[in-house]
Amino acid sequence: MAEEKVPGSQKCIAILWPSFLVAIVATGLFFSAFDPDDLYPFGNETGISRLGVYSIGFLAFWFVSAVSGVGTLYFAMTNCMRSRR
Amino acid sequence: MATSGGVRNSDDQVEKSLYAKAEKIYPREVHGLFARMRVLGVLSLLGIYYIMPWIQWDGHQALLFDLPARKFHIFFITLWPQDFIYLAALLIIAGLLLFFVTALAGRVWCGYACPQTVWTEAFLWIERKVEGTRLQQQKLDAQPMNARKLRIKATKQFLWVTFAAWTGFTFVGYFTPILELGSRLLEFRLGGWETFWVIFYGFATYGNAGYMREQVCKYMCPYARFQSAMFDKDTLVVSYIPNRGEPRGPRKRSADPKELQLGDCIDCTLCVQVCPTGIDIREGLQYECIACSACIDACDDVMGKMGYDKGLIKYTTEHEMKGGKTRLIRPRIVIYAAVLLAIMALFAWSVMTRTPLGLDVIRDRNQLYRETNEGLIENVYILKILNMDNVAHTYTLKVSGIEGLRLHMDMPEIRVASGGVLELPVRLQVEEGDLDMRSTEISFELVADGNSALTVVEEARFLGPK
Repeated sequence: MAEEKVPGSQKCIAILWPSFLVAIVATGLFFSAFDPDDLYPFGNETGISRLGVYSIGFLAFWFVSAVSGVGTLYFAMTNCMRSRR
Repeated sequence: MATSGGVRNSDDQVEKSLYAKAEKIYPREVHGLFARMRVLGVLSLLGIYYIMPWIQWDGHQALLFDLPARKFHIFFITLWPQDFIYLAALLIIAGLLLFFVTALAGRVWCGYACPQTVWTEAFLWIERKVEGTRLQQQKLDAQPMNARKLRIKATKQFLWVTFAAWTGFTFVGYFTPILELGSRLLEFRLGGWETFWVIFYGFATYGNAGYMREQVCKYMCPYARFQSAMFDKDTLVVSYIPNRGEPRGPRKRSADPKELQLGDCIDCTLCVQVCPTGIDIREGLQYECIACSACIDACDDVMGKMGYDKGLIKYTTEHEMKGGKTRLIRPRIVIYAAVLLAIMALFAWSVMTRTPLGLDVIRDRNQLYRETNEGLIENVYILKILNMDNVAHTYTLKVSGIEGLRLHMDMPEIRVASGGVLELPVRLQVEEGDLDMRSTEISFELVADGNSALTVVEEARFLGPK
């Protein structure tokens, strides 16, 4: 019930916004420790500019934490429904 | 799912109101002391934001988080990724400062300085210039589309998008030198990722300040959720004085409220109309209130016109409302201030005494050790020397930890330019008999010639057969 009432836009924000903040922190920490020019993913040089690697890193962190957000929301909502039934 | 019982119903209502489709709020323009203060705040903050990246200092951009070059310029200080701790400390200081100010003066950050408020004000200003007053805006939005409406809306959109794009460009200019960025923009040679971030940040500005507005504060802002934890009974809040205002009701200006048995509130609802978050301050302290004090200005104006005392809505504290006196000095304030001062002092001290020289020792990964033709045990390292000083230096390298340890390097001298990084391969050799263990701790010591204050010591391990 609760699930139906929450509009999709609210859910999107609930997932994308906190993961965005987490991605900023993660990107900052990760690239303070690792210089993109020293990274050889799967043994290859990336051939991408530093700004590009930062950006891809940020988007990847954002995606990963958003996926976790989707999971949290899903379990929270299905649990909520179960407890109400 | 069936609903039953009163609790369930009230739950559902809460949900409904929480997730109700947001109706557009048309905040009425307001004039007064606090509005002037906010305009001052908005103008100076926007001014700083848009002008700052263009300021040069000592041959570089004064404030530049140069991501492509991995160094941060903050006026006379240059920070490197190794100095991440300083940035973290700055963030902690900013956070503590926010706590301190919140405990003292409530949500002044929200009302005057938050980027969300600042850009929303700017976008509202554009909207008012193009679409007119609150009433004119409401009328326009209620109309079906026609040529005039289209023209007005298109003008507003054009100004909003231009302003947002400029904001995005400026944002990227904090991370990559803005002069270069500007010249490349003029030649339409902006890099792919630069373009992406200009559009990304521009779009975020446009969406947040043009459309999301108070919903960001209500639904998305983490500070709005926990700021009340910093509040106590002596924190400044914007509040309506119900004892004075109630019972509210309309009356003629000439009428004597006592005769009509009315309070000072004439129920003109101006305080609601000016509220950017669309709440009624007369219902008490609400978490949606960003303490912008637009309602104070509006109400003071009305009180003046009615010939009543100002301050029916005012900055006050819970203690004062209950007839007590506000205590400025209280444990919470003292503790926040003490912690803040301590961390700021620590930060200043560590920045001042920071050694602008970095040394990383990386072991050759291919081989643990090797035996030379002369029968010596050799380990290979790559030293990364980072000169974070403003002038070039020549350094002397020493190594210690094992008796008879010999240092070989291929360069005649170690000279690193200001801001430069030198990768220096070195070989260490030792007689096998001098090794007691398979792994021995050794240390590299790098000293700048003529300046022994510039010294770093870095530990490493020497591996051998034993």
